[in-house]
Amino acid sequence: MSSIGEQIRAHLPYQRRNAAALALLIFAMVLTLSAFAEVGIARDGYLPPGMFIYGGGLVVMAFGAYLVQAKFASYADPLLLPLSVALNGLGLAMIYRLDLDTSDDHKVAAAAGKKLLPDAADATGQLMWTFVGIGLFVAAVLIMRDTDKTDAPLSFTPKTAQRYTYLIGLSAIILLLLPIVPGIGAQINGARVWIHLGPFSVQPGEFAKLLLVVFFAGYLVNKRQAMSLIGKKFGPISLPRARDLGPILVIWFFCLGVLFMQKDLGTALLYFGLFVSMLYIATQRVSWVMIGMGLLAVGVFVATLLPFMGHVNQRIDIWQNPKPYFDGGCLLDSGKVVPVNPDTALYKEQQALHKISPGFSACAKLGGEYSDSAQLMKGLFALGQGGVLGTGLGQGQPWQTPLSFSDFIFDSMGEELGLTGLMVLLLIYALIVQRGMKTAVAARDPFLKLFAGGVSFVLGLQVFVIVGGVTRLIPLTGLTTPFLSQGGSSLMANWILIAILVRMSHDARKPAPQAIQDEGMTQIVSTR
Amino acid sequence: MDKPIRRVAIFGLLLIFGLMAQVNYVQGSQAESLRKDPNNRRKYQDVFNSPRGQISAGGVVLVTSQPTGKDNPKYGRTYKDGPIFAPVTGFFNGYATKVEASYNSLLGGSDKRITQQRWFDTFIGKKAEGADLEMTIDPEAQRTAYRALQEKTQEGRRGGAVVLDIKTGALKVAASWPSFDPNEVAPQTGQKGTKRLNELNGRTGVIQPLVDNALSQTFPPGSSFKAVTSAVGMEQLNLTSSSTVNTGPLTLPESNKLLPNSHDHGNCGGQAPLKGAFAESCNTSFGRMALELGIQRLSDGAQPFGFGKNIKIEPDFRSAVSDVPVSIKDAQGKTIETGKDGTARSGIGQENVRATPLQMAMVAAAIANNGKIMNPYVVQKVRAKDQSELYSASPKEFGQAIKADTAEQLRDMMRAVVSEGTAKNLQGRNIAGKTGTAEQGGSIPNSRWFVGFGPIENPRYAFAVITEGPGDGATNAGPVAAAIMAQVLKK
Repeated sequence: MSSIGEQIRAHLPYQRRNAAALALLIFAMVLTLSAFAEVGIARDGYLPPGMFIYGGGLVVMAFGAYLVQAKFASYADPLLLPLSVALNGLGLAMIYRLDLDTSDDHKVAAAAGKKLLPDAADATGQLMWTFVGIGLFVAAVLIMRDTDKTDAPLSFTPKTAQRYTYLIGLSAIILLLLPIVPGIGAQINGARVWIHLGPFSVQPGEFAKLLLVVFFAGYLVNKRQAMSLIGKKFGPISLPRARDLGPILVIWFFCLGVLFMQKDLGTALLYFGLFVSMLYIATQRVSWVMIGMGLLAVGVFVATLLPFMGHVNQRIDIWQNPKPYFDGGCLLDSGKVVPVNPDTALYKEQQALHKISPGFSACAKLGGEYSDSAQLMKGLFALGQGGVLGTGLGQGQPWQTPLSFSDFIFDSMGEELGLTGLMVLLLIYALIVQRGMKTAVAARDPFLKLFAGGVSFVLGLQVFVIVGGVTRLIPLTGLTTPFLSQGGSSLMANWILIAILVRMSHDARKPAPQAIQDEGMTQIVSTR
Repeated sequence: MDKPIRRVAIFGLLLIFGLMAQVNYVQGSQAESLRKDPNNRRKYQDVFNSPRGQISAGGVVLVTSQPTGKDNPKYGRTYKDGPIFAPVTGFFNGYATKVEASYNSLLGGSDKRITQQRWFDTFIGKKAEGADLEMTIDPEAQRTAYRALQEKTQEGRRGGAVVLDIKTGALKVAASWPSFDPNEVAPQTGQKGTKRLNELNGRTGVIQPLVDNALSQTFPPGSSFKAVTSAVGMEQLNLTSSSTVNTGPLTLPESNKLLPNSHDHGNCGGQAPLKGAFAESCNTSFGRMALELGIQRLSDGAQPFGFGKNIKIEPDFRSAVSDVPVSIKDAQGKTIETGKDGTARSGIGQENVRATPLQMAMVAAAIANNGKIMNPYVVQKVRAKDQSELYSASPKEFGQAIKADTAEQLRDMMRAVVSEGTAKNLQGRNIAGKTGTAEQGGSIPNSRWFVGFGPIENPRYAFAVITEGPGDGATNAGPVAAAIMAQVLKK
């Protein structure tokens, strides 16, 4: 162990911070309930019943989670749970705000027998998944007992996972493959990342992400010495032996291949960052990070040449210059973009022929690649509308953005909470990442260090990829916004992630077991 | 392992820091331009929630916002004498046109000039109120114009009238018949209004009420275009109003057909001074003049008047393009040059020459104002709710179209049209001008013009009137112009 960790551990308070956790949690609850109240007053003119059902439900669940944490993981980091509750609560309030079934006007109109357009925002479903997610948090904290009690029956600690490294790697692959299996796999919004389980749609990739972190951590802990010490030198770069790097590369390439097949570029990017960062943490080799970046560049280049890749070059073009693609644009081989939006003659010509998607047909006729930047642009318009202070919850028009409750929920937040609100959200994410990383440094076991470092970084990277996408910092690829987006799989996986960090921070921060000194004073027998 | 973890942690936090920087950039410095993006439909919808500013003209409030008592839209829009003022006010129903569109951000209260002044309101979440706008239009003259156009235009055809203040370019009248009622598509009409708008928008054929006939529609100017031909001819061929011109029969060089005159006696009987040929509107002299100039010089000479450009009246509010084309493209995209016969006919405002009433009023303005044209505009002042002035029009020069000397001679020629020429019926009405009667081919009725200025001495206003129907410009457009000018000159 290096000295930094020793220093941090030496200064750890070794005290329970339950009061701080409770105070912060109450603040998070007040935040959530105020958000619901504001939505109701602004939208319907009175405190919404949803405030008591949805906000109240979340408050009860969060308080239960706190009690479990205080009892069974009392040395845990006091920030993780309140921060997660605040994010989950704000996300739930936004989805409630977007779910028109809960609005007063909508109910009146429905009672009058008017035909209403269905909207895809589902506050009830999200509340249910929040319950399940927090339930999983509680269960995970309860099941994963203290690391030193591994002999206890039914005990499973983060450390136990190390024993099943390859099994876990295999499960990650199986989970990733499930959506491709005919019958249970389903394609939603262009990406084939879903499976149907009875009435539910699940994204197994969210869980595969966690398993993959476990696998990388377990594998790298065993091989890191061999990898960094034994190998061939190529100038300044030394490469590990094939037998050391091989297995992990195989699994990694396999995952990326599967994701490319599913056109899930966001997750592929996430796994890539995960692999490179964990390799770096394990071996400290900067040169390998460079090689990783080189591989990424090659990967992107190859992807631009493959037609089934969802046209990566076009995504990059849209990112740089979205305007001509608004409501439909056509990228010709010459690199020129021809708009085929509904106002153009090209579109109307195809429309007259009763084509199902006239813009697409018009583009096919020109021999170009069709794409549409309306989603991205409308998301940016929402941010522009919000400005510095936002329109206020319930007072904007976030429904104008497509997928305003899932991929683009960050833009919806930006519209109603403004720059101010977004900075708060980003600070919350930054704090979660920072607390997770601190847990990694404070952990005693190398496997746990890698594990905690990996999950924390992957959370930060996920936020970067999706938020960067919807704010046009990087090309847009679909991913869930942790804790905010509507969707059960993401919520469950993230709550489990927080549970693991809570458990590990408890283990790291609790006082080290003291050697038993209770042997009494040595008897001194008088010789006299 | 702690050192790399720390580095990865710093990297992870840098990523989030990058996001913060980007969000600041987008919501801080980009917000304004995102809100104004032409693809952004929010800029119209948001204003349903707050009262929009009034539009008034000559002290009369014409357009107001009133609460509807409903949630969506919270405020409706009421247009007093909607059809009469629609060519300038435009309509507002989420989408907007004309002045409603040009000054949308000021009327709606989202403009920086308002929000920065009322920053405290913004801070406490109070919506900034829309500003009130005052137009240059003379409401009484506009009403007169609308009724006179309605009376003189043939059933099922179009008419338009424009009056400009020659010293400033302020639009005093911009009337169109037939028109539409913006009240029918205002926000409070909901689905019905949308349907009505779609119906108006989808109209094909002659009558398209959403395209006004004063600023946005072009017509063949006929003999009124002789004012332009004369101006170019006098400057390029060194003619004066007293130069003798051949008014005898003209055989067109390509088809060997005769270019007809309306009459072959008096000044049109063989030879006359230019002034006489102008007053009696002898086609052959101006056909010859055009042939001598050639189509290129005629077309270039018309540019300084505004031909070939869509003239900017207000931001995002432009007129249709008037044109003296050297060549046109047919339906197959093939270029057809304007030949010799076409050039002769262009000289008398036929063939493919087209002009908006606004354009012809600008021609008259150049003549009345010693060759100088002021840029037309329609919004005089914008005031915030606290009466502070946010915008005030500052007249700008459009250009010097012709020499002052040429303009003076043309003024004389236009006076002769009324005193001894084709528009003797307008004597005593204190206006001068040029008549025009353009054939539109086949069974389509004539477009009948009267383009000129008033008062006769020391002119202050320039006008152009067109009505469609049988007969000539002097009797069917002249009296309309006279009635409008009588109203305008009352002040």
